Amino acid sequence: MGLIQRTIEAKGIPTVGITLQKEVTEQVKPARALYLRYPFGHPLGEAFHVNQQRTILLEALKGLETIRNPGTILEPGYAWRRHRFD
Amino acid sequence: MGKLDDLKNTLLVQAFKHSPWLAERWARSHQFVEGKGIPWTPLRKPLRESCVAMVTTAGVHLKSQPPFNMEDPDGDATFRAFPTQVEKGDLTITHKYYDHSAADRDINVVLPVDRLQELKDKGIIGEIAPTLYSFMGHIDGPHLETLMEETAPEVADRLVREGAEAVFLTPT
Repeated sequence: MGLIQRTIEAKGIPTVGITLQKEVTEQVKPARALYLRYPFGHPLGEAFHVNQQRTILLEALKGLETIRNPGTILEPGYAWRRHRFD
Repeated sequence: MGKLDDLKNTLLVQAFKHSPWLAERWARSHQFVEGKGIPWTPLRKPLRESCVAMVTTAGVHLKSQPPFNMEDPDGDATFRAFPTQVEKGDLTITHKYYDHSAADRDINVVLPVDRLQELKDKGIIGEIAPTLYSFMGHIDGPHLETLMEETAPEVADRLVREGAEAVFLTPT
């Protein structure tokens, strides 16, 4: 995914991606990422957990406005199935 | 791919799902394409005025579109495009390298179409780009070149033409 992200960014559109594999993202180096230690298949969290999905999407999108250093990986640290999204 | 390989793959998918540390160990033992430099484009205007697009590598596509090729162990570098205002019931996922049972029940787990619409309704983002783009994330061998030289640039060009001013990407 990071390779596609880099290609889009290089064409002139700012990008941010979710990553579930921090070490891969550190190697591939997309412009902006948000890392969650979640299982594969769950980049936005759990099914029908609207607050969780919205929070993750919003946090990632905010990175487009806040991240100043290329290659930044945000780590909100939402623990899988333990963090309360109110 | 033979039945034994399929079984091995199914077991690995479940092991990776339930043990994130296993996936981390796997990542450490693999060589990924190392990025040289970091492409960078700043956001030109605030999110509330920007047109946001989504791209996923979760193998999502319309049921009416051809599925991704699961027979090739190096994956499939093609992509599927479909309208953002899609009926969720028209979508399906072809991808056997991750457990998409949650996303099968609620597509927002991998492609948050409803959540993005809510952000637009609240004025947090300006617009939603007209087209969603989807790849399958398991791409290796000769298909990496196809991805890098052909299909990823084609999607990027389309996003530019369609007026996307920010792109949100999701993995598997």
